[in-house]
Amino acid sequence: MTKPVIEVESLAKSFGDNHVLKDITEKVEPGQVIVVIGPSGGGKSTFLRCLNLLETPTSGKVAFEGQDLTSLDSKSVDSLREKMGMVFQSFNLFPNMTVLENIKLAPMKVKGVADAEATKTAHELLQRVGLEDHAEAFPASLSGGQAQRVAIARALAMNPEVMLFDEPTSALDPEMVGEVLNVMQELAQEGMTMVVVTHEMGFAKEVADRVWFMADGYIQENNTPDEFFNHPQTERAKDFLSKIIM
Amino acid sequence: MKKRFGIVLAIIVALLLTVVPLGQNQSAQAADDSLEKIQKKGVLVMGTSPDYPPYEFQATVKGKSQVVGMDVEIGKKVAKDLGVKLKVKSMSFDSLLVALQTGKVDMIISGMNPTPARRKNVDFTHIYYQGGYSIVINKTDLAKYKNKDSFKGGTLGAQTGSTQYNAIKKQTVGTTSKGMTSQSDLILALQSHKLDGVAMEKPSAEAYVSNNKQLAAIPSNFDLSSDATSSAIAFRKGSTSLVNEVNKTVDSIKKQNLVKKQYLPAAGKYLKTNTVNTSMTHYWKAFLTGIEYTLIITICSVFFGFILGILLSLARMAKGNPFKTALRWLATAYVEFIRGTPMMVQVMFVYFGLGLFVNLPALTSGIIAISLNSGAYIAEYIRGGINSVNIGQTEAARSLGMSNGATMRYVVLPQALKNIWPSLGNEFITLIKDSSIVSIIGVTELIYQSNIVRSDTYRGVAPIVVIMVLYFIMTFTASRILNYFERRMQHD
Ligand SMILES: Nc1ncnc2c1ncn2[C@@H]1O[C@H](COP(=O)(O)OP(=O)(O)OP(=O)(O)O)[C@@H](O)[C@H]1O
Ligand SMILES: [Mg+2]
Repeated sequence: MTKPVIEVESLAKSFGDNHVLKDITEKVEPGQVIVVIGPSGGGKSTFLRCLNLLETPTSGKVAFEGQDLTSLDSKSVDSLREKMGMVFQSFNLFPNMTVLENIKLAPMKVKGVADAEATKTAHELLQRVGLEDHAEAFPASLSGGQAQRVAIARALAMNPEVMLFDEPTSALDPEMVGEVLNVMQELAQEGMTMVVVTHEMGFAKEVADRVWFMADGYIQENNTPDEFFNHPQTERAKDFLSKIIM
Repeated sequence: MKKRFGIVLAIIVALLLTVVPLGQNQSAQAADDSLEKIQKKGVLVMGTSPDYPPYEFQATVKGKSQVVGMDVEIGKKVAKDLGVKLKVKSMSFDSLLVALQTGKVDMIISGMNPTPARRKNVDFTHIYYQGGYSIVINKTDLAKYKNKDSFKGGTLGAQTGSTQYNAIKKQTVGTTSKGMTSQSDLILALQSHKLDGVAMEKPSAEAYVSNNKQLAAIPSNFDLSSDATSSAIAFRKGSTSLVNEVNKTVDSIKKQNLVKKQYLPAAGKYLKTNTVNTSMTHYWKAFLTGIEYTLIITICSVFFGFILGILLSLARMAKGNPFKTALRWLATAYVEFIRGTPMMVQVMFVYFGLGLFVNLPALTSGIIAISLNSGAYIAEYIRGGINSVNIGQTEAARSLGMSNGATMRYVVLPQALKNIWPSLGNEFITLIKDSSIVSIIGVTELIYQSNIVRSDTYRGVAPIVVIMVLYFIMTFTASRILNYFERRMQHD
């Protein structure tokens, strides 16, 4: 059996009295695509951010390739984050840099990759997300869908083992959702391990290996998309599914 | 005699002497090697405040501005008799005593009268000149005023805190006393009829009258102790051997009546050349030096203040371990303290306070003080700028594996600086104006130079107008340049 990429054990996270994550124990195997769905405010973003320690867990363990992140010093955490790319709802591109510079920055400053090599990789990635014409553009001139594809390319430039997506299409106009989902689907087909928080049920059904249903601070259900959407086990999940239009 | 001694300075000295009790005073008392030290050094540094003709004033000699006057002649003679070189250091009268006590100068010759209060802090030589007081009035009033008692219902002016000023207060009835810092301002006020007369040292009065045909001098008739009208040379407390040696020179100056016979006429000659050409263009070099120093101070201070500001703002946001908490606390305290005290006091503190440990030139002290000050303000701008950068930028950078430091440096700071560029520009322009504060420690920036020109030419308003225009040209040009760069940064 292969080692899990991510292992979460008894994870809990509180903001003051607000116990957002209560007790979560789950695994992500190599090559798996996990889709996390659940009601708004249920702690999905917080969970995702605990995986790469953007948020410090209150208790419990988060292990990446067998290493417990919560016990590491900040330097080691930095270097493990390289292996976990993250894509945000609001893109978070660096507005003062061109598309190319956005992608090159981390490889050059963190990994010490030479300029020429970083540029070459960046162009290849831009080609992969269909934006090779926009290398010299500034983020402000891009559409939402283009910006999110640049953000994906930027994360891929670090050559990560896992990609974390936090509602990557929620801020997009409907006609741009497809172009981003296509890129993500291709990525999944190439074997990338992915944890995706999304409300795109179509994507979950087609691409996910497992669906995790998260509400009230727990993973209430962990199932195949087929089982989850057709035979939800918990009342909470049934209630949730009945409210979303598919 | 001049007897001004700013309260602020007095407090600073008191503070310094308590904080640093091991200053020059005690070591000097322990073993009096004062004479030996000067002779070994080969240089005698004389402190003086050159705004008091004919005692000491600035004159342009062969195109170069230098300090001249009867006190300088005396200083030369003292140095010659000691077999050392004389170096004249000019600063405001207020700063002289502190400069002596902190070792910036070796002696003071600046028309200083040996009052009992001063004797407590410094050693004086024998008296080298016995003067008296006169009252300068407008010539048109000559029939109206005879002496100090003719000014009932009127206003008499004198330098703030001077013995003349105290004499007016104590020895006149029904006369308003008005104090101003500079002699040339007083004369200006007299000519514009804001004052009816100005009480001052007799030789000074004569210098003014002989250089300005609208003025006249009348005897004052103040009842004066000889302490109040005499001048002596001041040395650090406990310099007995040095004082004894210099007393020989002073005695011989008096015996030969050198002051009246040689030194005053020599000083008068400079006064005459001064009044020949009092046009402002004649002094363009003085103003140019002023601009040069103003810009040097401003640019250096903004540069170092900026670096300090970045460090302070980062320290103010540090958190995590106790060390970082302490750092944050210190930086916060520093910023609050600097913003809560006047820059003028900070300048004096650096010059005189640090001066106890390292001998910093006035210009360096000024740059250090203003950098320290401006760093505190810039830190707040930068902190605001950093907070204005969306937290998502930091998260994106961190998620890419960039360290906290790298995130700051490559992602947050560049955006923060762009946001605060206008504030930084304003700080620069403010500093062009505020750097004038270092004139009090004798840095020859624009204000200092204009004061020199004013006491040099006996013209009160013209130099002020000139530097107003010069300051405006500098600030206006600077703001144009800054705007240009601001526009260029708006590419995204
Ligand atoms: N930094 C924070 N400080 C305090 N409370 C927070 C913080 N971040 C999140 N929360 C709280 O945690 C709870 C869960 O938030 P979270 O963003 O994880 O939910 P979510 O499932 O991602 O919701 P959505 O679908 O709206 O994105 C919310 O009540 C939120 O207010
Ligand atoms: Mg969320």
